[in-house]
Amino acid sequence: MGTFIQQIVNGLTVGGIYALIALGYTMVYGVMRLINFAHGDLCILGAFVGLTMLTGSAGGGHPGAALLLLAFVVSIIAIAVAGVVLERIAYRPLRKADRLAAVVSALGASLMIENGIMLVWGPQVHVFPSNLLPATTWHVAGATISFIQVMIILASLVLMAALYLFVNHTRFGTAIRAAAIDQDAARLMGINVNRVITSVFIIGPGLGAIGGLFIGIYYREAYFTMGWTYGLYAFIAAILGGIGNIPGAMLGGVLLGLFNAFAAGYVSSSWQDAITFGLLIVILLVRPTGLLGERVAEKV
Amino acid sequence: MLRTSTIGLGVSVALLAASGAAHAAPPIKIGVQAPITGTYADEGQGIARAVKLLAAQQNAKGGLLGRKIEVITCDDQGEAAQAAICARQLVNDHVVAVIGSYTSGAALAAEPIYARADVIQTSDGTSNELLKHGYKTWFGNAAPNSAEAKFTAHYLVDVQHYKKIAVLTDHSSFATGLAEAVVADVKAAHGTIVDKSFINAGSQNFSPVLTKLKALQPDALYFSGYYSDGGLIRAQMTQLGMKATFVGGDANQNVAFAKIAGAAAAGSIIINVPAPADLPYPVAKQFVADYKTKYGALPPSVFTLTNADGMRAVMQAIAATKSVKPAALETYLHGMKSFQGLTGTFAWNAKGERTGSPFVAFEVQPDGSYKILYPTPTAG
Repeated sequence: MGTFIQQIVNGLTVGGIYALIALGYTMVYGVMRLINFAHGDLCILGAFVGLTMLTGSAGGGHPGAALLLLAFVVSIIAIAVAGVVLERIAYRPLRKADRLAAVVSALGASLMIENGIMLVWGPQVHVFPSNLLPATTWHVAGATISFIQVMIILASLVLMAALYLFVNHTRFGTAIRAAAIDQDAARLMGINVNRVITSVFIIGPGLGAIGGLFIGIYYREAYFTMGWTYGLYAFIAAILGGIGNIPGAMLGGVLLGLFNAFAAGYVSSSWQDAITFGLLIVILLVRPTGLLGERVAEKV
Repeated sequence: MLRTSTIGLGVSVALLAASGAAHAAPPIKIGVQAPITGTYADEGQGIARAVKLLAAQQNAKGGLLGRKIEVITCDDQGEAAQAAICARQLVNDHVVAVIGSYTSGAALAAEPIYARADVIQTSDGTSNELLKHGYKTWFGNAAPNSAEAKFTAHYLVDVQHYKKIAVLTDHSSFATGLAEAVVADVKAAHGTIVDKSFINAGSQNFSPVLTKLKALQPDALYFSGYYSDGGLIRAQMTQLGMKATFVGGDANQNVAFAKIAGAAAAGSIIINVPAPADLPYPVAKQFVADYKTKYGALPPSVFTLTNADGMRAVMQAIAATKSVKPAALETYLHGMKSFQGLTGTFAWNAKGERTGSPFVAFEVQPDGSYKILYPTPTAG
């Protein structure tokens, strides 16, 4: 029983991180019908910016809670700015172009950010300080839960709930949803679609930066190629939940984390990806638009 | 990313002016194939730095056979596909010998290319796969898996008397080979293996598989993979409240292991030949000091030194045979009775396997340094 609960905690922790990153994919796709392949790299860039804040200004001393908070704030702002710049440079000029052109541009942006990280921070594995968070652990029904796991799970839940409320219960959120349904109609209704797109490129990468920094703090290491791996997982989480659907990305992320934990824990780590993606195929066969994906109306 | 850089940095301008200008003889080219970028970047950079240091030192003494040594580096990123590209590039550059690579997988992909071109390859790769074809160009410079597995089993079963041993490995050809050998030798020593599981290297999330192993309550967890994963496994064991002693194979001996594992690192056991700073031989002390003076840091692991031994042996072979002909060098290297290496005296058997390596089990200290536990170090 303890093992089972432990696997749930393991799954929820990574699932929360996947979900935070998946939100960036799904929001951009929802509004622009574009897969932002550079998103995973933006998240890891967030981890590196946070790392520089934590190690650069600490001067070897004990990085306190204030510094940790500052690292998150700086990282979120930096990555949101990077997201907006990315949209201006790599996606806006191609908005009217063929969709394939935008995908190629996204892949190019991904490689550019990845190699940019390598040039600035170097190719080796970077290690986060170990004393950022208290090493407290709790024992619940035979499972061991650490402070950081609780923090990641709680923070992702709160952030996802806040985003859900923002999109569904504010005027600007309504504008985002309207632009997602039909950009031209939204424009006719007086919605500034460019502002909506910019906001999506602030919120998505901002949440991604938090996810990236969580990865760094949880695993205490970061290297420049990490963005691709995590980006791929989060992208799959977004598809699993139904891309373009915000609660879907949250559900997809958490489910992917749990699938992975149970496959590795009860079958074999060698098979964890095969099992996880096998399940993904089965789900997509049954529900082609993902678990919570919109049902595409067919014109008869 | 095809980056082949010709590095003449080791050969300082002053030296060139002093002796280089007088000689018209072309330089002797030595290749370095190593992961300069990627997960194992610090190991790869260590190998490249060591070879460049040795070349610069030799050139300062007038080079070899009156010719300068030129080092050509190729970054294989620790990837098999890139390793094959590197091998072709270095062969096209007409190198006499290649030092590296760090991982068995990358060495394995390059091995047949060097063998066909008759270029000597000396790598710390120890996977049994590397010996399968019996290429005469292959010279493993680290102790083979079989010897390490025997020592590991002896330490786990006869010295520490662990009752239940869990084994964890990644999917690399080196780590799976070592894990299989350890499992076989532990069973031969009448020890109990409670489980053998796999991780996906670089996937970071090892908690699920560790949770499974924790339920089996092993006394020791033996991990045969690399330090970047080993450090994380150690940290996640503590996070899960797992009490088993972490025992790591030789690829866990890297300064980054303790950095990644953080506070959890202390008390971990690593089995390998002694770390660079603990090597008792005067040549080794001199080399480590020179390395530190030049690069401002200690070598990242002992594999920097085993590859340096490969380079030193090749240089000695060239000097002794007064030639750079592959056949003469290979015969000389295979026939060496005992070579005073930085990592102890050794020789190569007919398969190109290193013989003669003193293994030790050492404990990681809270400050990240190592303390040899077994065999009990003798004074002096």
